[in-house]
Amino acid sequence: MDYFEGLEKETKELYEIANMARSKGLDAQTETEIPLAKDLAERVEGLVGPEGIAKRIKDLEDDMSREEVAFKIAAEISSQEFDEVGKKQREIDTERERLADQAVRTALAILTEGVVAAPLEGIAKVKIKKNSDNSEYLAVYFAGPIRSAGGTAAALAVLIGDCIKVATNLSNYLPTDSEIERYVEEVELYESEVTNLQYSPKPDEVRLAAKNIPVEVTGEPTDNVEVSHRDLERVETNNIRGGALLAMVEGVIQKSAKVLKYTHTLKLDGWTWLEEYSKEKEGNENSSNQEEISDEEKIKSGKDDAKYIQDIIGGRPVLGYPSEKGGFRLRYGRSRNTGLAAMGVNPATMQLLEFLAVGTQLKIERPGKGNCVVPVDSIEGPLVKLKNGNVVRISTVKEAKAIKGQIAEILFLGDMLVAFGEFLRNNQTLLPSAWCEEWWIEIIKNSPKYNEGDLDLEKLGDFKNKENSYISAKDAFEISKKYDVPLHPNYTYSYNDVSIEDLNSLIKWISKFKNSFIEDEELKLDLSYSKRILEIIGVPHTLEGKENPQVVLNSDDAYSLIHTLTEELAIEDNLKNDSTLNAVNKISAIEIKIKAPIYIGTRVGRPEKSKERLMKPAPHVLFPIGNAGGSRRLVAEASKKGKINIEISRMRCTNCQISSFQSLCPHCGSPTEVGTPSRKNINLSGMLRKASENVNVRRVDEIKGVIGMISESKLPEPLEKGILRAKNEVFTFKDATIRHDSTDLPLTHFIPKEIGVTVEKLKEMGYENDAYGNEIENEKQIVELKVQDVVISNKCGEYLVNVANFMDDLLNKFYSMDKFYNVNLKEDLIGHLIVGLAPHTSAGVLGRIVGFTNALACYAHPYFHSAKRRNCDSDEDSIMLLLDALINFSKSYLPRTRGGSMDAPLVLSSRIDPEEIDDESHNIDVMEKLSLDFFNKTQEFIKPSDALDLVDNVSMHLGTQAQYENLMFSHHTSNIHAGPNICLYKTLPSMKEKVESQIELAEKIRAVDQRGVVEGVLSSHFLPDIMGNARAFSKQKVRCTTCNSKYRRMPLSGKCKCGANLILSVPKGSVVKYLEISRDLVARYPITHYLTQRLEIQEFGIDSLFESDKSKQSSLDVFL
Amino acid sequence: MTTKILFKFAEKGINLSPEAYEKINSLEDPLDFSSSLIVKLKSQEFSEKDLMSLNDSIVEEFIKILGLDQSKKTESKSQKGLFTYDKENNKNNQFETNEKDINSNINADYEEKIRVEPNTINSHTKTKISSEIKESRKTANKYKKPDSCKNITLKNEYKKHNNSENITLKPDNSENIALKPDNSENIALKPDNSKNIALKPDNSENIALKPDNSKNIALKPDNSKNIALKPDNSENITLKPDNSENITLKNEYKKSDPDKFKRNLTSHDVDFDFKIIQDTSKKSYTSGEIGNLIAYFKSRYSKISNILSKRPELKAYQKINDIEEGARDLNVIVMVRDIRATKNGHKIVEFEDETGEINVLFHKDNQELFKASEKLVKDEIIGLIAEKKGTLNVATRIINPGVPRIPRKEMDFAAVFTSDIHIGSLTFLEDAFVRFTEWINGDFGSEEQRNIAKDVKYLIVAGDIVDGIGIYPNQDKELAIKDITEQYDEAARLLGNIRGDVKIIITPGNHDASRVAEPQPAVPEKYAKSLYELNNVEFVSNPAVVSLDGWNTLIYHGRGFDDLAMTIKGFSHEKNDLIMEELLNKRHLAPIYGERTPLASELEDHLVIDNIPDIFHTGHVHINTYKHYNGVHMINSGTFQTQTEFQKIYNIVPTCAEVPVLHKGVYKQLKFI
Repeated sequence: MDYFEGLEKETKELYEIANMARSKGLDAQTETEIPLAKDLAERVEGLVGPEGIAKRIKDLEDDMSREEVAFKIAAEISSQEFDEVGKKQREIDTERERLADQAVRTALAILTEGVVAAPLEGIAKVKIKKNSDNSEYLAVYFAGPIRSAGGTAAALAVLIGDCIKVATNLSNYLPTDSEIERYVEEVELYESEVTNLQYSPKPDEVRLAAKNIPVEVTGEPTDNVEVSHRDLERVETNNIRGGALLAMVEGVIQKSAKVLKYTHTLKLDGWTWLEEYSKEKEGNENSSNQEEISDEEKIKSGKDDAKYIQDIIGGRPVLGYPSEKGGFRLRYGRSRNTGLAAMGVNPATMQLLEFLAVGTQLKIERPGKGNCVVPVDSIEGPLVKLKNGNVVRISTVKEAKAIKGQIAEILFLGDMLVAFGEFLRNNQTLLPSAWCEEWWIEIIKNSPKYNEGDLDLEKLGDFKNKENSYISAKDAFEISKKYDVPLHPNYTYSYNDVSIEDLNSLIKWISKFKNSFIEDEELKLDLSYSKRILEIIGVPHTLEGKENPQVVLNSDDAYSLIHTLTEELAIEDNLKNDSTLNAVNKISAIEIKIKAPIYIGTRVGRPEKSKERLMKPAPHVLFPIGNAGGSRRLVAEASKKGKINIEISRMRCTNCQISSFQSLCPHCGSPTEVGTPSRKNINLSGMLRKASENVNVRRVDEIKGVIGMISESKLPEPLEKGILRAKNEVFTFKDATIRHDSTDLPLTHFIPKEIGVTVEKLKEMGYENDAYGNEIENEKQIVELKVQDVVISNKCGEYLVNVANFMDDLLNKFYSMDKFYNVNLKEDLIGHLIVGLAPHTSAGVLGRIVGFTNALACYAHPYFHSAKRRNCDSDEDSIMLLLDALINFSKSYLPRTRGGSMDAPLVLSSRIDPEEIDDESHNIDVMEKLSLDFFNKTQEFIKPSDALDLVDNVSMHLGTQAQYENLMFSHHTSNIHAGPNICLYKTLPSMKEKVESQIELAEKIRAVDQRGVVEGVLSSHFLPDIMGNARAFSKQKVRCTTCNSKYRRMPLSGKCKCGANLILSVPKGSVVKYLEISRDLVARYPITHYLTQRLEIQEFGIDSLFESDKSKQSSLDVFL
Repeated sequence: MTTKILFKFAEKGINLSPEAYEKINSLEDPLDFSSSLIVKLKSQEFSEKDLMSLNDSIVEEFIKILGLDQSKKTESKSQKGLFTYDKENNKNNQFETNEKDINSNINADYEEKIRVEPNTINSHTKTKISSEIKESRKTANKYKKPDSCKNITLKNEYKKHNNSENITLKPDNSENIALKPDNSENIALKPDNSKNIALKPDNSENIALKPDNSKNIALKPDNSKNIALKPDNSENITLKPDNSENITLKNEYKKSDPDKFKRNLTSHDVDFDFKIIQDTSKKSYTSGEIGNLIAYFKSRYSKISNILSKRPELKAYQKINDIEEGARDLNVIVMVRDIRATKNGHKIVEFEDETGEINVLFHKDNQELFKASEKLVKDEIIGLIAEKKGTLNVATRIINPGVPRIPRKEMDFAAVFTSDIHIGSLTFLEDAFVRFTEWINGDFGSEEQRNIAKDVKYLIVAGDIVDGIGIYPNQDKELAIKDITEQYDEAARLLGNIRGDVKIIITPGNHDASRVAEPQPAVPEKYAKSLYELNNVEFVSNPAVVSLDGWNTLIYHGRGFDDLAMTIKGFSHEKNDLIMEELLNKRHLAPIYGERTPLASELEDHLVIDNIPDIFHTGHVHINTYKHYNGVHMINSGTFQTQTEFQKIYNIVPTCAEVPVLHKGVYKQLKFI
C-alpha cells in the first residue's frame, strides 16, 4: 500500500469513529462536518459547491488549463437554464443572481486551489443591476478577505465577472462620473486613513480602470471612513469599500500585465485598455533597466537603498547594514531544512548573537524581504575578535558558548545559505557566489589537468567532518599550481574589503618578519596597527606576551599570506572596487578569488513561536454565561447565581417538540432542528451538575465559558466538553477545535535520532530506505521526509498529549465509546494524524506526526506548508488532532461576522498533489551539488530564469513520481535544531533590556553602525510610538470593565449604561512606556540634535497632559 | 457655444426665452455679453419672476445700454470693476483663447488710469454703471485687436489691482452679490495660478463690503513673460522678483542684508490697549485621569447649554430623563452621540444629556430640517425640538447656539493677520516674508499700501510660525533648519525687523513646539527664547482671545477644520469660510472628538466660543478666506509656504504670501509674491 493510500485508510477510520460519536446525537449535527477531499476538484466542491461540480471539474481538467477550467465552469453555472414557468420576475432575477454568485465563487475557488477563504468570504454577493439606459450589468461585491486570494486571483475574480457577463448576455457596467471619482477618492482615502496598498496608483490609473472594467467592482464597507462622494444611487455605502479597492488596485491595476495575458488566452474582448498600464510600466522598467547596469555597480560598491533597514524596531537588532562588509556572506545552496524562504546560518552565529533562534525571522536586504533562520553547520561560521586581541573563527555552538563574554567585535557574521529558488521566487538578479569549497572542488573536477581519482575530492568536500576536509596551506598551493585552479577558499582572505594602501601596510609588516618564518611553525609579528588589516581580511591570529605583545599567525595562514602577498602592490586605478583583488592577482602566482563578493544586510524580525492557541480570555467551552462568571468567565461562578439570562438557541425535536441542545432528541431520539436564538433564563447550576455527573468529573470550578455566542445560531457547546477540556488543561478556539500554533519551517530530510523516532517506528510508518537508497538500519541515517509527515515542537507534542487525553475522555465518558489514543508520552503520538490549517484559509491539510523538535517551530515538508498556502518567512499556523477536529468542529459555532469562516477546517485535503498547491513550492531546489557553470553564471548578474538550465528543482518533476522522491539538498546540516531555540528577544523581561542588548550587539558587529541603530530605534520606533499614543490618548475611547461596553466618547453621565465606572482605553502607561528608555538613550549616546529635540518636545506635551499646572505650581511653592 | 451660454444663465437660475437666446447668440461675443448681462440681472432691479423666462426686450435694452448696436467707441474710462466681473464669468473663454498678455495689459492700463483719475472713480454712481459696463466691454474688445493697442502703454506699475469700483454696484448689499464664482472651480480652470489669484472672487466680495472706496491692493508681479517693464514712471512702485525668468526688473526690491535686521529690543511708548482675555497657557489642570474626561464634556455641555437656554424656544427645556411617558413634544438641549442613516435615507441621531439618551429621527421629506441636520456633527450641542410619534421621536427643529449680530465698532488702526509661515521649511517663502515685514515698516509698497502700513498696530500669527521638527515622518528632509530653537531664532530675526511699535501676538499651531492636544499652551520660552526677548511679542495659547484696542479677537489655529471638512457635505479646505461660520454657529472650535483633532481633557472646555468675538482669525489650511458674518470679521490668513507635497497630492492650491489686513474696520488683502 502506498503512502497516500495508507494515510487515507487511517483517515477513513477516524472518520468512522467521529461519525459514530456524532451519531449519538449529542452535538450540533449527527455527522462530522468536515468533508474529505482528495484533490482540488473535491476541495472546491466541499468549500463552495455546487454539488457535483467536482466531477465536471475533473472532466474538464483533462485538456484544459486551470484558468480555462475556472472560466468554463463560471460560464456554465451562470448560464444554466432553470424553470421560469410560474415564477415572478423577482424570483427569476433572484435565481439569476444566485447562479452568478455561485459561478463567481466556484471559479474563484478553482483559481485559488480550493484552499483560501476568499471565495467564501472575499465575495460578499453578486447582483444584477441596471445602467441609466436600463441595460443590465453585473456587480461583484468584494469584501475585505479577498486579500487572502492574492492580487492575481482578485483580478481574475473580476475577469470571471466579465465572463459571466458574456455568458448571460449582460451589458457592460457604465459608471457615472461621480462613481468614477468615487473610486479615485476611495483609493486616496484608503491609503491615507486605512493602510498602504502594495501599489499606489495615480488618480488617472484608477480612472482608467474604473471607466473600463466591464463589471461593477463594488463591495461592502470595510472601514469606518466616509468618502465625500456620498449618496450615489448605485453605491450602497458611503464608507470605504476595502475589498473592491483591493480587487481593483492590487488586482486589476497592479497585475494588469497578467490580466491582459489571461484575457487573450480566455478570449475576452474589451480589455485592451489594460495595455496602458503596461506601457507605463514598461516606461518605468526601461529606466530601471538602465539602473540595473548601475545596479551591478551598486552591488559591488555595496550601497543600496534597502527597505529592511528603514524601520529599526526596539529590541530587534540590526545584524548588518545594507551590503556592509562583515555582514552575512551570500552562499548558494540548499540544506535539508532550508528553502521556501528559510535560509541557513551557522548555528555558531546564532549562538553568538543570541537573538537568532531556529525559526527567528530576519528582514533581509535580498533576495526577497524576509526569511526564517535555520541552523546549517556545514557553512562558514563567524569570525570574532576577543577582548584579549585574538581573532578566532567559530564554527560550533560549543565554541561560541565558550567565548561568551569575551567578544570585543564580531568581524564577520558567517555565511547565509540561500537557495537558488529564493532568487527565482523573488525574480531577483543572481548575485556573485561566495568563494567556497564546493566551487573550488567543481573547478578542480573540471580542470583539464585533473584526472579522476587524483585527489579524494569527496573527503575534501566533506563538511560533515571538518577534520576530513582539512588541507594544509602548502598542499592547497600545490593543488592550485598543479591543476591551475584558484587558491583554496580557506586560504583566500577578503582582500577586497581593504584598500591597496591598507594591504600594503600589511605586506610591509609581514615582510619584516618573513625571513624568520619556518614552514609548519607559527609566524610571530611585533604588534603593529596593521593587525587591524588582518582582522578585516579575516585572518585568525592570537596576541601573545604582555611586555612585548606579538601577533601570532598559525603556520597555514602565515604560509598563505607570505606566498600570496609576495611583494607590495602597485597603486593604480584605486577607484575601481575590485582593484585590491586585481592588484593582489598581479603579484600572486595563483589566482585569488574574491572571497565575499556579496554581503547581505539583515535585521531581526519576528521571533519564532510555538504556543497553544488561546482566545482572550481563553475558554474551555463555547457556552455563554454573560457577565455572570466575572472577569474570569468561570462557569462555576455563574452557576452560583442559579438562573442566568443568556442569548442562545436550542434544538427542537421534530417529533415531540421538546427542547434540548442535541441533534437527536434526548427524550424520543428523533432528529431535532435548530431554533431561533433568543434570550432565555437557564438553570446553569442544574446543567452544570448534570454535566459533571455525566462525565463523572467533580472538579468543575475552573471551567471557563464565553460571554456570549457570536455565531448565527448561537447554539452552545455541551458543557461536558468544557469539563473535560478543563480537566485536561486544554482550551478551545472559536470553532470548538483545539489548536497549537507554530512557526513554519521546511524539512525535506531528517535523521531519526534528531527527531526522536525509532527505526522500528519508522518502518511501521512505511519508511524503508534512507536518502541514499540504503535500508534504514540505525537512527543516524538521513531519511527523506514523506510529504505529509510533520515534525512538531516538543511543546506542541506535550499539548497534543493533553488533547489526546481529552479526546479519550470525551470518547469514553461523553460518547460512551472506546478510548482511541491511549497516550502518555508525546512519543506515543508518532504516527497519529493531524490537521494543518493556516489563517485566511478554510481547508485543512492532513498530516502525520513523525517526530519532534526542540525548536519552537513546526518542521514539515515544503509541500505541506505550500498546501496551506504558507511559506517559511515567519508564517505561522495551527495544528489540530484530526479526531478532535472531526468530532468537535461545527460550522454552527463560527462567527457570523465577515471573515468568520476563515481559519476554520471547512474541508480536509487528504492528499498533497504538488501540482495543485501554491507554486512557490515548485521553486524548491533538489540538486545534490551546484555545477561549475552555475557558479560561473552567478558572476554575470543575470535573471534567475536565465539560469534554469543549470539547476534542478521541483517544477521540473511535476506530474512524475520524482515529485515525491529524491528531492536532494546540497549542504548538509548535522542537527536541525542546533543553536538557541529561543530568541533573546523573548527571554529578556523588558524593553529596556532588549534595547540594551540590541545596542550592545550593534556596538560589537562590524557591519552595524551603533549610532545609526540608536537613532533608528528612536526615530522609527519609540518616537512614533510616543507621538502616536499621545495623540491616541487625546482621542481615546472609554470602556466599562464590568460589561465591556465601549464608548467612542465619555458619555455626559460619566458612567456606563450598566451603572459601572468607565476606564480609559489608552492608559497613561502606554503613552509614557518608551519615554524613560528614550530619554536614557538620548543621554547616553551621541544622538542627532534633531531627535533629542523631538523627544524633548514630546516630553513637554506629555507633561502638559499628565501633570496639572496647579500641582506644578504648588511644588514650586515649596521651594520658593 | 450654445450650451455654454445656456448653462451660464442656468447656473444663475435664469431661464432664457428663445428670442432672448437668439439675440444674445447673434452678438459678436455672446459669452462676454452674457456675463455682463447676468451682472445686471442679478442686481436688484429684477425679480425672480423676470428671470424665470427672460424675455428678449430686456436683452435688447441691455444691448442698447452697452452700445453694442452702435459703432464702437474708441475711448473708454477705466471700469475695472466690471471688467473683473467679466473676467470672472469669462474665464473659460479667455483661457481658451489664451489672452494672458492682453489681460495683463488691460490690468496695467486700468491701473494707470485709476492712479490718474481717482476722483472719477470715486464719484461713480449707480446710474453711471450701465454706461460703464458698455465702455468696459469696449475696452475689452478693443484690446483683442492688436492694431488698436497702440494706446496701451505698458506701465511698469503692474500691480494687479482688484478693483474697488465694483462696490459702487451695490454699496448697500454686499452679501448678496450674485456672481460669486466658485473658488475651487476657478482653480481647476486656471492654468496659471497667480493669475487666478488676481481674479479671485473673494476679493471682489471683499470690496463689496467697503463703502468708503478704499482699495484692495495686491502687490503682485504679473507672471506673463512678455511684459516689458518700464522703469521711468515708477517712483512709488516697487517691483518684486517673480518666477518668470525673462522679466527684467529695474526697480527691484533689494533684500536687506541679514545683519541689518533690527532687533527691536528698545520699547516704544505706543499706547496699546492690548488685553489678553483668554489664554490657557500654564492653566492646564488635567492630569489625564478618567475624571478629567468626565469634567471636560460636562463643561462643554454646561457652557453651551447656558448659551442655548437663553433662547426663548428653549427656556423650558427638559432633561431627557424627565420627559414623561405621555409627553408629545420634546424640548431638550443635547449632545450628539452618533449619527446614522437609515435604509430609507432618513437620519437617526443619537443624542444625550447627563441624564439619559434619546434617538431622534430626521425625516428626509422635511427638507429644510434635513438639510440642517446634514451639518450636525458628533459631540456638538444643540437645542432640539421634536415630536413623539408612537415610539419614535421625530425632530422638528434644530437650534444652534448661533451668532447674534454684533454691533459695528469704530477702528482707528490696522491689524495684520498671518499664520502658517513655516520658517525653517525649505518651502518657506522668505523673500515674500521679508517684503511683508518691510511693508509694515513702511519701506515697501505703493503709497496707498504704505499708508495702510502706517496704521498697523498689531500683527497676529495664528500658529505654525515655524515648520517644527518631527511633525511628520522624514520631515528632516524638507527642512532648511533642523533645530527647533534655531527655527524660532530665525523667526525672531525676521520678526525682529518689524518696527517695535507693532505688537506681535503669536499662538501655536500643530507645527509648533507645544503639545499636540488642544488647547495648546503657548510655545515655551525654552525654544522661542529669542522671540520672547523681543519687547513687542506676546505669546498666547491656541485658542486664545485677545483685545486689540477693544476689538476682541478669537485666534484659533484651525486643526479642527480637518474634521469638519471631512465630515460635512459641501465643506472643504478651500471653503473654510463656511467652516468658520459653522464653528461660530456651533460655538465650538473643534466639536468632533476622537478623530483628527486631539483634545486634552481639561477641566473646562476652552474651545467653546463663550463670547462672540469681533474678529475670528484662523489659519492651518493655507488658503485665504474672508467673510463678514453677522458683524464678525472671519479671516483665514493663508500661508508663506509654497505648495507642499501633501497639498500637491490633494490638489490643494495654497494662497501664498497674501496677507489680510483689517484697516480701520475694512478688510484688505496684500500680496507679497
